[in-house]
Formats: sequence, structure tokens, C-alpha cells
Amino acid sequence: MASLPRRIIKETQRLLQEPVPGISAVPDENNARYFHVIVTGPEGSPFEGGLFKLELFLPEDYPMSAPKVRFITKIYHPNIDRLGRICLDILKDKWSPALQIRTVLLSIQALLSAPNPDDPLANDVAELWRVNEAEAIRNAKEWTRKYAMED
Amino acid sequence: MGGCVCKDEDTTPLPNSASNGLIDDHYRPISQCGFKSASTAIHMDTVDELVLETLNVIDTYVETDQEPPTSILTLHAIADQEDGWIQVVTSMIRVIPIHHPLGPAVITLLFDDCPLPTKECVMKLSNILNLSMQVYSQGSPQHRNTCVLLGLLAEKLSGPSSIAILTDTTLNYLIKNLDPTAEPPVILFSLIALEKFAQTTENKVTINKQLESMESHPILQLEKWVDSQCYFKRQVGFCAQWCLDNIFIVKDRVFSYQCVNVEGINVMLNTKDVSEYLKISPDGLEARCDAYSFESVRCTFQVDNGVWFYETLIITPGVMQIGWATKDSSFLNHEGYGIGDDEHSLSYDGCRRLVWYKAHSQKQNRDVWKPGDILGSLLDLDKQEIIFYLNGEPLPPCTEVFKTASKGFFAAASFMSYQQCRFNFGSVPFHYPPTDREFKSFNGCAQLSPEDKVILPRHIFLQQLSKLSVREDSCTLCFDKKASVRLLPCHHWGFCSRCADQLRECPMCRAPIVSKVDMP
Repeated sequence: MASLPRRIIKETQRLLQEPVPGISAVPDENNARYFHVIVTGPEGSPFEGGLFKLELFLPEDYPMSAPKVRFITKIYHPNIDRLGRICLDILKDKWSPALQIRTVLLSIQALLSAPNPDDPLANDVAELWRVNEAEAIRNAKEWTRKYAMED
Repeated sequence: MGGCVCKDEDTTPLPNSASNGLIDDHYRPISQCGFKSASTAIHMDTVDELVLETLNVIDTYVETDQEPPTSILTLHAIADQEDGWIQVVTSMIRVIPIHHPLGPAVITLLFDDCPLPTKECVMKLSNILNLSMQVYSQGSPQHRNTCVLLGLLAEKLSGPSSIAILTDTTLNYLIKNLDPTAEPPVILFSLIALEKFAQTTENKVTINKQLESMESHPILQLEKWVDSQCYFKRQVGFCAQWCLDNIFIVKDRVFSYQCVNVEGINVMLNTKDVSEYLKISPDGLEARCDAYSFESVRCTFQVDNGVWFYETLIITPGVMQIGWATKDSSFLNHEGYGIGDDEHSLSYDGCRRLVWYKAHSQKQNRDVWKPGDILGSLLDLDKQEIIFYLNGEPLPPCTEVFKTASKGFFAAASFMSYQQCRFNFGSVPFHYPPTDREFKSFNGCAQLSPEDKVILPRHIFLQQLSKLSVREDSCTLCFDKKASVRLLPCHHWGFCSRCADQLRECPMCRAPIVSKVDMP
């Protein structure tokens, strides 16, 4: 592996020592740039009660470019597509090297609380969210129950 | 180009036009019957044909800006539905032949871009697989394909779902497959599947327990094949050794890096200059990729002038891009870019028979390479040409790369999934040394300190790293250098000059940077 930048070591140490409430991010044993992430569905959102798995990868030029993050658990959300890809500005053109793994994951948690159907990635979901929010929220709850809750 | 189909941009994977006439007319009608996600009852033969079609056209799918073959897009559309997903997956197990060099890579490629399976869906598949493990006859490709898929499932579904799939039946099946009398391809992919299941800690504990309870540890037996002249067995040996050093640690076994003989080896593959999933042998000369990404590595020795030569022993017949790169060439393994995919590198892929430069390829009129072949790579910085030799037969000289790079070259290579080769930088005699000019070997000119010759297992390396501490006044972006720069006009500070050089707007407030001033 390319030698691991101090920035990544430092962030990892802090993530493990002072975890963010509702979020767990654990580096892979064999790859310090790859994190296994679990985000709990925020209270009051249709995702409440769910545990959502994500993968987070720090590219070679991190922090000059954004981490790559993807949902592994299926989720019904207008800004997340069927491959788990996330439409979030700070992961794209609004990235700043002062942002960190923890801030990115907090933003993703916030996105679960506040879906934005006007900037969609999953078009059919966004459409329903716009024309019939109640049904969309029902679907989101149903998916959360079906895919994000361990029995 | 490493053939990742998953580019960030495409979110609507339905074909809008036939792709550049690359697909035989014969196949067109199937691919273009326009599946909508509602239709689930697709005939199984159709799926089988699409899978085989993908296998046939995959080596024409080389440019990243190229639309993926229609068969791939159609299969993904079918896999959008739960039943369709199971159809596609079971079809791959049934029809991918064992000897096609890109078989396992195609399974990996198709599987990776399929939509995420639900847990029910995975359990359904797991039940189908459990049943089929018992019915396939010995030596049939279905066993190998089943193991490839189990590995992919394990990788994709880390955590509870991965634990759920590793049922007793599955675990016993995979471990039984490690019997040295089983077919080497089945042993190989069972071992890789176990390695991927072990990415989830609970599974690792379960697997280790099972292995240790056996009379003789099967992986210890397989490790002995590491130098086998049978190239399938050799792959098994390589993976067995890697697993024992990195994942399935056996008490009282000495790590390979502690007992390998590296005397006389003065150049290695550089463990500090490699993308993260490539596996490197303890002697630093053999490498293998079992990940989905397109993994790359450079060697430890740089050359700036003169004539240089090295050889590569081809162990697997699939896609590898082997050649030369400067430090400016970047390893974009997750995007599918490697050696030969930018202007700072040039490479040869003897599977697709293509010379690569700047991500564009030139077809070569040669046989496809096969295990045991020797690829020679000559870099003549005086004449400004690169010549590849397949078993001593030269390909036409390549000169393009010298328009953009004139010195600072390293031997370098990229690997698609399940590919492996061994480098000879001159520590042993060459098979086919060039006879038309004088050349030097790296090994004759380079030196490595004893500590640089140690290829540490990653878990030990990461342990050592986590003990590092960070100074208080360090740059807030890299934590590496001293913070010394203030940005104007916003006055935010706390950055080193190297990081500041890469900034156009302030990381704190996004204000455009007009100037950067050094602080005392």
C-alpha cells in the first residue's frame, strides 16, 4: 500500500476514541483507507429504527478530493439510487479538505432526516416524493423495516 | 483500461443505441427487445445467451468513454427485479466455461454493477446454491463459478448478511474444496471466497475454528504449492501463503517475511507505491489481484537514461497491463485506470493483445498470452523507444510515451481481478535477453537496505502505523508538515505550504484565495 498519510491515521484514531453518536465507522483490517460504516436512521424520519450499512473509501489524493461513500443497505430515498450512490454536494463539487470523515457521515445522517426530491438521483423515488409524499414515506418506512432492521 | 463498468455518471443503465457496431448482428435481437422492469418471466435461455454474449464481447469493451456492451446493460435491467437477479446469478454459475481466461472476471464485472440484492434474495440464492453444491458433478465449471460468486457475495455483504450466508453447509463446502485432490481452480476460488468471508470478523473466527479443528490445517498443505510449475497450483500456493500471513494466522507458524531469502534481490515491487488491494509475495517479485478494482504497482528502482530490460512470467492468462511508468502516472484503481492509461505510462496487455498509452490501445498481431509465457520489456532511453517481446519475439517499437515523459521511469504493471505474474528484474538469468543492443538490468545497479526488503503483512504494518503520534502545530489538512501559511483575504490559517499550493479556495470559508502569506 502507499504509505498511509498522517491525516488518515489521525482521523481514524479520533473516530475510534470519540465516536459520533448514531454512527460507527471502523477501518478495514487490511485496508486503512476503507471504512465499514453503520448509520442509525434519525429519530422522527421514515428511517427511524433502521441500521444502514455504508462503505467509505478514501481515494489516493484525500483530503484534496472527497471520500467515496455508498449505501450497502437498500434504502428508499430520493437522493440515493439503487446502487447505493448518494447525491450530496459535499461529496462532489462542494467538497473541502477541511471536511472530514465524521462531518461527511453527519451530513449523510442529516440527508436521511431531510430528503431533497428537487435534486434527485433516484428519479422514480423523487417523483413519488414530490407528488405523493405520504405514500413515499410509507414506502421508505416499509423498506427500512424490510431491509434495515435485523430480526 | 481495467474495465470497470461502474462509472459515477451513468445512473440509467438502459441502452439507447447499439454500441459502435462491436456486437455481431447475430446477437442484436436479444439485446434490443427492450426489457422493462415489470417483466420478470424472462426465458432462462435468453439470460444464458446474454451471459455468453457478454463473455464474447468483453475484450472489445476497452475504452472508458465507450457505452458498455448491450448485453451487460440488458442483464442489469433484468437483474433489477428480484427474480431476474437470481436468474442472472444462477445463469453465470451454469454457463461460464472453466477455461475462458476472462470467465471469473466477467462474473465479477456483471455482479458488481447489478443492483443491491435484498437479504431475502440473498438467502433464496444461498438456498439454491446449498442444494446445487451437492448435485454438480466433480470437475464441472459450476463448482468454480459457485465459489467465485460466494466470494463476491461475501465481499458485497459484509456484516450480518455475510454471516447469514456462511451457513454450515457453505462453510463445509468451501473447506472440503481445499482438499489437495480437488480441482485446482475450485481450490483457488474456495480459498478466495473464505478470505472474503473473513473480512467480517465473526466469520473469520468461525472459519479459523473450523480450520484449527482439522487434523492437518488444509491451507498449510496448499502453501507448499507456492513454487509449483502447474500454474493453477501456483496460484493456490500464492493465495494460501497470503492468507496464512494476513488472515488465517496459525499459531507457531513463522511469517513468510521472517524466513524468506531475499539475498541477491536488489529491486522489488514497492509496497509504498502500490494501490491498496494488490497482494505482493514476501520476496517482493510476484503480485496478484483478487479484488474487483484494477490494481497497480511500480518497482523500487528508477531509471533516467540508458537501456534497461526486465522480464515477467505470465501466470494467469487474463488482463494485465505490464510496462513502464513515471511517478506522475496515478493509480486510479477504482476507476479502472492503470499503467498505460495516462500520458506518463505505456504498457502491453497480452490477453487483449493491446499496447496501451493514454488510455488508448493499439491492436497487436500476436497470439494471446498464456501461463508460462515470458513478456520482455525493454526501455531504450537513448533511442527513445520501448519494445515488448513475447517469448523473445519483438513487437513493433513504441515511441509515443516519450512525447510526454523522458526520464524517471519505473517498471510497472496493473492487474484485473484474479490475475498474477512474477517479475524478474535481473536477480536470476533472463529467458530471452535482447541480442540487438547492450542493456542493463535493475538488479545489477540497484541497492535496497535490509529494512526496505521486508514485505510486512498488512495487519502488522497497520498496527505499527497506529502508534504514530502527531505534533500540535501541524497542518490541519495533512497533519504531516508544520502549519505555516495564512490565506488572504480571509485570514484563515493552519496549513502547510504543500497543502496550500493545492488550494484555490479557503477550506474553512470557501472564499477565493487571492494570496498566501508565510507566517513566522
